[in-house]
Amino acid sequence: MNSWPGPENSWEGVDAYFTSANSEGTLIFWTLLVIALLILVTMLAARHESDTANKTK
Amino acid sequence: MTLEELEVFVTTQANVSMEAYYWWCTALMITIHVGFLMYEVGASRFKNAVSSAVKNLLAFAFMIPTFWLFGWYIYLAFPGGFTPIDLEGYGTPWNVSMGPMLSDQATGVFWAAFTLFACTTASVFSGAVLERIRISAFVFLAVLLGSVCWILGAAWGWHPDGWLVTQFGYHDVGAAGVVHMIAGWFAFGVILNLGPRVGKYNADGSANEIEGHDLRFSFVGLLMIIVGFFGFLGGCLIWAGADLGGWINIYGAPATLSSFAFNTLMGLAGGMIGAFWMSKGNPFWMMSGGLAGIFSCASGLDVWYPGLAFVLGFVGGVIIIPANNWLHSVFKIDDPVGAVSVHGVAGIWGVVAMGLFASGYPAAGDIPPTSFGGQLVGCIVMFLVGFVPGYGVSFVMKMMGWLRVPDAVQIAGIDQAELGLRAHTSA
Repeated sequence: MNSWPGPENSWEGVDAYFTSANSEGTLIFWTLLVIALLILVTMLAARHESDTANKTK
Repeated sequence: MTLEELEVFVTTQANVSMEAYYWWCTALMITIHVGFLMYEVGASRFKNAVSSAVKNLLAFAFMIPTFWLFGWYIYLAFPGGFTPIDLEGYGTPWNVSMGPMLSDQATGVFWAAFTLFACTTASVFSGAVLERIRISAFVFLAVLLGSVCWILGAAWGWHPDGWLVTQFGYHDVGAAGVVHMIAGWFAFGVILNLGPRVGKYNADGSANEIEGHDLRFSFVGLLMIIVGFFGFLGGCLIWAGADLGGWINIYGAPATLSSFAFNTLMGLAGGMIGAFWMSKGNPFWMMSGGLAGIFSCASGLDVWYPGLAFVLGFVGGVIIIPANNWLHSVFKIDDPVGAVSVHGVAGIWGVVAMGLFASGYPAAGDIPPTSFGGQLVGCIVMFLVGFVPGYGVSFVMKMMGWLRVPDAVQIAGIDQAELGLRAHTSA
């Protein structure tokens, strides 16, 4: 199974047809970044809610 | 054209048609979210309308990446219970199977349909917690429900190797148990810890009716949900493309789009009419009854006689109202949209009805035929898969102070306090 760019810069013999498909390390990096963004946004929202609660008495 | 070329052509056309079918089912399911959003905005008071919408949209947004990260893997790896099978990395997000493959046109489309099932499940929960759950807490619980609990239930009760299927012949083609019971009873577990909205209950325990600010939104929203459910239920049928001659259900037995069309509509109508009668003409309950009518038929959509589907739906539309009243009076919960009753109770009725009226139907291979005992076991399992994590995790969140919007913010209105917005300026 090859990934882009395959041999001779064509799609012949290519199966996994997406960016960095031939680099598991890069795929893991993007995955971790997705996880980090989801957690970060949730934490920022939680902090905003707590700040609002402190200001609203 | 040679015979080989013709064979390739026909196979390609069949497969492309199958993939396009699930693509459009996925697109149609997004209208469920339009519907839930309108429904919940309408059911909220004006001061919380925008935050209700934000909460709804966030559930949709967070469900997609989390289902890609681990939801799909859970479905593939846990059909046997809590021990995963070795998939040699297949289904993990850094595996090539979770990206576009020229040799596999279908996986992404199936994943998309399942992702929308997850989004729908999370949306069910969102209505029950209106106007007093912290948005960040809601997002966390929605991910737990949609990308973990529901899909685990699906691995057990939908996957052809799921233990409920292989050992008990559990039959639930339209997800009465797998989606609606799990979502409804998860919501019940959470709202036991979340508590009611400020002003819902008086000191003597009597309840006050808290009206939404725009019932018209709720009516139209409920009807939109019903439109979207044609995408949901359509996605529950399997079209194997070029591999087999026609439709099959998720358990490998013959099925027809015709059966889904007959029984979805008849169950919907029965539910609307039953709830109209029981509620003495309340349109909110009438539309909720229509949904409950569909859930009442969902387990056996592939096998009901349409007349029976109407009666099942009618019973579903009738029971949700006293069930909702009973839950509120006994447990002192606050469920603004009746989600526990409409999904949890009607879901139970749907799963059990399959055992009462359709025992003995076969499935593919060594899967046992349907039975009342099998449906009962499935019912108990789906209740626990929903209730236990919903109650347990929200209890911990309550202890951490990460669950409920403080009373002062509720009284001020979440829209103004947290978002600095108003739903519209005419009020």
